[in-house]
Amino acid sequence: MESKQKEKISSFIYNILFLIAVIAGWGMFAKWQNSPFFPLPGEIYDAFIQLSTEGDVEGVALSSHILWSLIRIFAGFGMACVTGIPLGLAMGLWPKLYNRTRAVIEPIRFIPPIAWIPMTIVLMVGFSRYAFLIWLGAFFPIFINTLLSVTRVNPVHINVVKVFGASRWYTIRNIVIPSVTPDIATGMRVGLGIAWMCIVAAEMIGGEMVGVGRLILKYAELMRLAEVIVGMLVIGIIGFIMNEIFIAVERYLFRWRAEISL
Amino acid sequence: MAFVTVDISKRFGKMDVLRDVRFTVEENEFLVIVGPTGCGKTTIANIIAGVEPCTSGAVTIRGERVDPKKHNLSFVFQEPSCVPWKTLINDVLMGPEIKNTPREQARRRASEIIELVGLAGFENYYSRQLSGGMQQRVAIARAYVTDPELLIMDEPFGHLDAQTRYLMQGEIMRIWQQEHKTVVFITNNIEEAVFLASRVIALSKLPATIRGVHDINLPHPRNLTDPEFLRLRRILTEQCEVTD
Repeated sequence: MESKQKEKISSFIYNILFLIAVIAGWGMFAKWQNSPFFPLPGEIYDAFIQLSTEGDVEGVALSSHILWSLIRIFAGFGMACVTGIPLGLAMGLWPKLYNRTRAVIEPIRFIPPIAWIPMTIVLMVGFSRYAFLIWLGAFFPIFINTLLSVTRVNPVHINVVKVFGASRWYTIRNIVIPSVTPDIATGMRVGLGIAWMCIVAAEMIGGEMVGVGRLILKYAELMRLAEVIVGMLVIGIIGFIMNEIFIAVERYLFRWRAEISL
Repeated sequence: MAFVTVDISKRFGKMDVLRDVRFTVEENEFLVIVGPTGCGKTTIANIIAGVEPCTSGAVTIRGERVDPKKHNLSFVFQEPSCVPWKTLINDVLMGPEIKNTPREQARRRASEIIELVGLAGFENYYSRQLSGGMQQRVAIARAYVTDPELLIMDEPFGHLDAQTRYLMQGEIMRIWQQEHKTVVFITNNIEEAVFLASRVIALSKLPATIRGVHDINLPHPRNLTDPEFLRLRRILTEQCEVTD
């Protein structure tokens, strides 16, 4: 067996062991605390089973919550790509455009999505509220990464084809696009992660009855923390899975690159 | 009429980089332009290749103003210029692609040249899997595959370690003797210049002007300790004002 495979298997085993250790540690701590607000691992597991099979206090299944959250995320994320990528490309190709607008754009970038909640409550209704918040979370990483990707196109590569007399279209297709796509993909992956993290905030004010953020809120109001933790874990695990899938796709599409970071 | 005529001046803002640089290039000669670091040699190379414009004057090939879309030019850059997202063979095939060479013919020629530069078997490798020396060989292969009228090399061995550099100097001579092309080779290394050139032009410091032009008739491979070799080396060193 190759050493790379050995390393992968050994990492996997260590991860399992670490997970078991954390769960055991949690269990011992919870037993020691002996508080109704500090659920044992067993209780969390039961809550998970309950939510998956019978649904929550209103009978909505866990899978429905997850599905709806995912739909909203991808809607907001989709809008962020459609707005962020063209805008990023434009600002990257025409630096004057960016330089003359950044005094306004950059401060907005630093306003966390949560700070927008009061405005969205006043100015928007229903679906659009949290679609907007999710869009906000995803837009800026995508926009900034796309913008920077254009500036990072290596002039040597452009000159290589220029000397052969390449047409503008040839240069764009063979040099510019392959150059910028990996950075845009990174921006998208980061944007998706942030958008997913906005779900709780978004669903708080959305008013819909279904969604993992909503789920957490429901049970927080009822002080039933086992279910709250199930919600949190679901959010974390799905975010993790999405990230891993994205990375795997990136690794394949951009296999010509040296190892990418997280 | 000379094959290539160069008559250029270049100014960046208020600074004169090239001042009335005038020379010709004969067909099939290996012309080396040698000068101290930062004297504007790369600028000359870029202007000849049409990558940069000159402030005044012109470069002509057979009387026509040089144009990458009209003339068949090739350039080997100083820094690694392999396109990372293409495999070796596809990188080398870019030139023929741009010039609309029929695929079969291009592939055959590419295989020939890849073998000539010593990279047979690496066709499907990405540049991240190749060493610096190998990447420069790819750049050289890419430059030769299009059968250029004029091949410009801008300090192609500058980023390589000393041993690889020595090796590549020998390789370039071997390749040139097999695929005779008109080459303009830029370097700051005087020994390299005398080792390779059939004719050498010495440039001064900024603003660059021509200090000397020498024909070199020594047989290849050249002996670094030959008295004529050493004489030329001495003269060029003086003319380039390298020892200051």
